[in-house]
Amino acid sequence: MDREEQRDRFLSLLRPIERDLENYSRRMVFDRRDCEDALQNAVLRAFRAFDRYHDDASFRAWMFKILTNEIFAANRKRGRIAEFEIAIEPEEIEEFAGLDFTADAPISWETLSDALDEELLVALQSLNDSERAVLLMRAIGELRYREISECLGVPLGSVMGNLSRARQKMRDAILRARRRSCL
Amino acid sequence: MLMKCGEVRKFVRLYLDSELDAKQSFEVEQHLESCAECAGLFQAEKKFDERLGRFLRHGQLTRPFWKKIEALIAPRPFAKVKILWPLALAASLVIAAGTVLVARSRPLDLANAVEECHSAYVHQITTPEFSGAVPTKIAQQFGGRLDTAAFDYRPSEPGFTSSGARLCHVGGVPVALILGHCAETPVSLIVFRKSELDHFPQTKRKLESGDPIACSRSGRYQFAARFIDDHVVCIVGDRPRPVLEDLLKTLRRADG
Ligand SMILES: [Zn+2]
Repeated sequence: MDREEQRDRFLSLLRPIERDLENYSRRMVFDRRDCEDALQNAVLRAFRAFDRYHDDASFRAWMFKILTNEIFAANRKRGRIAEFEIAIEPEEIEEFAGLDFTADAPISWETLSDALDEELLVALQSLNDSERAVLLMRAIGELRYREISECLGVPLGSVMGNLSRARQKMRDAILRARRRSCL
Repeated sequence: MLMKCGEVRKFVRLYLDSELDAKQSFEVEQHLESCAECAGLFQAEKKFDERLGRFLRHGQLTRPFWKKIEALIAPRPFAKVKILWPLALAASLVIAAGTVLVARSRPLDLANAVEECHSAYVHQITTPEFSGAVPTKIAQQFGGRLDTAAFDYRPSEPGFTSSGARLCHVGGVPVALILGHCAETPVSLIVFRKSELDHFPQTKRKLESGDPIACSRSGRYQFAARFIDDHVVCIVGDRPRPVLEDLLKTLRRADG
């Protein structure tokens, strides 16, 4: 494949996911000014390494991995460090994958689906960097657990633990906000 | 043996995140069909997922920014070098001829886009979700951009066998993915609405210019696509191109 062919192939894989990458970056960077730099560095880095990208791997997962590294590096410069401290053991998987019905939620699950943008934004801010990374990779990147674990270089149990915690925190934050507004 | 409510609820996240294998998914679905309470809980959880997804993916693309990035990886123009005009003319002819050759061997945009999908099937990352009629739960995810008829196409060629189908997304377009085999090689049939073809302008041009079948190659897979009724059907696999074309030519829609 000559360089021009390679470039066209790279762009044809990149274009369909540009929007997802941009949304991911925007929501992941600690400082908004880092968003475009992280994206640009990630794309250039990916293009330089494109001959090492294997056809049978997911380009989406590969790109998210490179971008995540850039974002974490930018966040580190601003004093933010992602730590994947919440991990679950294989025997706990079922517990984390289910719903927590004991939570005494004052409103039904159903009503959370009409959460307002502002409520969701506040809830998102309640997550730490590792929870946010895992949640966004799943919700924006639509990556599989295994892909997320490869992207972040953390065990599968850690991915599930962070994802479960992230979703729970999102719910709790929305419920808290609503309780406050009811007072 | 049916699963109990407690058991099923333990799998809600894995199920919604498509992390269960086909057998487990099937068991969960069987339970949901017969248990309104669990079905309601799964539905509520799914709705919240969708709400969150819409919120997180909401931002628009900043076009000028991406144009700038794309320009950074573009090869430098060959200007700047002063050459005599006859030489320049000769050079431009050579370049033009080269461009034609390159254009011929470059994979079509749609071929590129479906390659990842097929590759996931080959490596057993993607498995069938159902066979037979499209379950209502899946049809509800179409968002008005796909129809159940898309799942009905099969090559009538006896060499093709299908192990089931699933809903999938290719470049953001919802598609029917029919997973099959031909001479023991995995072959994917991908069907979507003609109206979505704007997402793949190269392929659109090619099919609308009168080519009954558009062929290409992406990575190690051959690719062929055609219009049928108001759908685009493509077929991808590590099989010789004429074999794929034959499969496409014998396409029929199963009744019901
Ligand atoms: Zn039940």
